[in-house]
Amino acid sequence: MAEENAPQQQSHGPSSGGMRSSGPGAGPGGPGGGRPGGPAKRGKRNFVRKKKVCRFCVDKADFIDYKKAEILAPFIQERGKILPRRMTGTCSRHQRWLTVAIKRAQNIALLPFAAEL
Amino acid sequence: MEERQYDLIFICRPDTPEADIDKVIATLESTATEKGAKIESVAKWGRKRMAYRVQKLHEGYFVYMVIKTTHGEVVKELERRLKVADPVIKYLTVRLDEELKRQEKLKRHRERRAARRPRKVAAAPAAPVAPTAPPTEQSAPTA
Repeated sequence: MAEENAPQQQSHGPSSGGMRSSGPGAGPGGPGGGRPGGPAKRGKRNFVRKKKVCRFCVDKADFIDYKKAEILAPFIQERGKILPRRMTGTCSRHQRWLTVAIKRAQNIALLPFAAEL
Repeated sequence: MEERQYDLIFICRPDTPEADIDKVIATLESTATEKGAKIESVAKWGRKRMAYRVQKLHEGYFVYMVIKTTHGEVVKELERRLKVADPVIKYLTVRLDEELKRQEKLKRHRERRAARRPRKVAAAPAAPVAPTAPPTEQSAPTA
């Protein structure tokens, strides 16, 4: 497992490419600085996850319109289920507004409750 | 009572002639004005595909209107009319004034904050100027 991990990490962080031969020994000094995650243990699996940002916060939305189905569509599954926050990265406030908007849109047939057969 | 705002959307059968849809809108308008409500706007979205089947139909003619009123009973009456109206297959009324008020409030809040922020930025560069002044004074006596 450990041998598998090492090359993976290198491919993750292009900044560490120069110190390739030194491997895990190079540890805290070199490539660590480029990673925002901070003091990650070297031997363990290191996921560099892009931080999800609430789309509505980026747009500075004060109101989510239920009439704009094309805005709401990315936040539901094919079968009409509302996606959880952990999938979409929406903040709690906007998720609350979003669920209301989606439910309204479903009621007036702008969004599906369940996919058609 | 304060004024409330409602969104009213209804869907007609796709094969209804335009004249019948206008008739439905006209009856809604007359009942609304009769009861002291004001119809702010009417928008025909036209034929659209619905997300699911309604009364075995895939398409519908969407009409959207905004209503302002001080008494909510108007909505009841309008919904009754829609239920009775033949071409209408689906309708929805949503009360929106509270959300719009909240939106307004948040917007004002944001603008106020945006107005305040530049002043803070302006103050920050001004502060370092003062500390740098004393060293120059100190250097003068030593020289």
